[in-house]
Amino acid sequence: MQRVYLDHSATTPTDPRVVEALMPYLTASFGNPSSVHFYGQEARAAVDRARREVAALVGARPNEMVFLSGGTEANNLAIRGVAEQHAEHGRHLITSSIEHSSVRGICDALERRGWEVTRLPAYEEGVVRVEDVRAALRPDTVLVTVMLANNEIGTVQPVAELGALVRERRAAGQKYLWLHTDAVQAPGRMPLDVDALGCDLLSLSAHKLHAPKGVGALYVRRGTRLTAQNLGGHQERERRAGTESVPLIVGFGEAARLAREELDERVARMRAQRDRFEAGLSERVSDVVFNGDRLRRLPHISNVSFRFVEGEGLLINLDMQGVAVSTGSACSSGSLEPSPVIRALGRDDELARGSIRFSLGKDTTDADIDYVLEVLPRAVENLRRLSPLYQKALAERMGVGCQAPGAG
Amino acid sequence: MYSETFKDHLANPRNAGDLEAADAVAEQTNPVCGDRLRLSLRLRGGRIEAARFLAYGCAPTLACGSALAELLEGLTPAEAARLTRSRITDALGGLPPRKQHAAALALETLRSALEQLA
Repeated sequence: MQRVYLDHSATTPTDPRVVEALMPYLTASFGNPSSVHFYGQEARAAVDRARREVAALVGARPNEMVFLSGGTEANNLAIRGVAEQHAEHGRHLITSSIEHSSVRGICDALERRGWEVTRLPAYEEGVVRVEDVRAALRPDTVLVTVMLANNEIGTVQPVAELGALVRERRAAGQKYLWLHTDAVQAPGRMPLDVDALGCDLLSLSAHKLHAPKGVGALYVRRGTRLTAQNLGGHQERERRAGTESVPLIVGFGEAARLAREELDERVARMRAQRDRFEAGLSERVSDVVFNGDRLRRLPHISNVSFRFVEGEGLLINLDMQGVAVSTGSACSSGSLEPSPVIRALGRDDELARGSIRFSLGKDTTDADIDYVLEVLPRAVENLRRLSPLYQKALAERMGVGCQAPGAG
Repeated sequence: MYSETFKDHLANPRNAGDLEAADAVAEQTNPVCGDRLRLSLRLRGGRIEAARFLAYGCAPTLACGSALAELLEGLTPAEAARLTRSRITDALGGLPPRKQHAAALALETLRSALEQLA
């Protein structure tokens, strides 16, 4: 069976060049980077090289990068680290209503422990407004955490403007205020520069850029103090205790180098494929709603709600034909509520439940898109034929002017 | 996660649609997740001659509708009333524990249709 993987926002296949780079550190070069002997120093040198590559990916200094286990841990260290370190200066956080579940979960947990959290709307276009952040800032706000690009709809948030706002506040005397951004979806999909963004903390995950799972990094701007969440060792300049996973870090470094060097090529390719997919879909399937701003978004994501059908049914239908996607439907996530991100755009329950995320990768081909455009309309059509909602809409439309759904 | 039988019901739903001259049409909604199932039955000579379903919801809801409609044809209403949740899930090669609500919705819709026949 032909297989097409369009779930690159969930994870990406490991690049063979990355595997090749990390293999020696699974075998002969097994040293502990904290050891003083040859083996340790060999491992230390490899970690340092990777640190320079990951720093270069985001325009940071190597000693501003903390290696850890992934995006969720990076978000934990950034948000809890700042909140706990500066609790005496203020206990107010500002975040958005479309953050990744890890950021949402951390903010909810802090709220239960006495912090106050302001969650800002993202409106129909799925983009936070700077003036809302300005209005929400208080003298006791210690952290603004807004993602760089959304993981479900790909919308790019105005983080650079938020960075300017935070710096303006600090210059005006609010010393204890920081900006964190979850940039997990961004590398290899848009240019990244921590100075241009003006953020103090930035989360990265390796497996979204063709490296293995289990490693990520937090950028911590020089002078930003945080409470370590992992204690008991001196690694990572006391910010994250635990022996470094040398092979994974080396893989992350190589993937970061490739993502930086190949950025323009990857972006152009993915955008062209994505736009062709969306144009083809609009031609072939009626009653679809594209979610999120069409311009201010990452080049590889297309999030579409299909009226009258539920996302999980469609996902499984596509999976049976070899196409892998994800959905905002509640059934598939195991929760009872459909995607809070799609709901935050003001979409009704039916549209939130019928949302499917197609996320392309650097190696997605024309043939992949052609295949999806062939099987997807059929799958939607089959599910709609089963849907009492569709039958009802059909009857109503026939009643008011003999139009089939989608006509006109 | 899902059996081959289950996937076959999804790929080739049995008895999908509405029914002309139906003797009973029931539609039930799961109030928690919003899934819907519509069941239409037609009787002939004291037996269910035709059963059709329409469904909106997650994959198990669609598959349970298909399995139910297939099981019902040829049964008397009294036999249909004795169908159990496990009979429906067995016909699908089983359901994961947290998807059992789909079979519950199927049974509830069936009961409501049978009440119309009584």
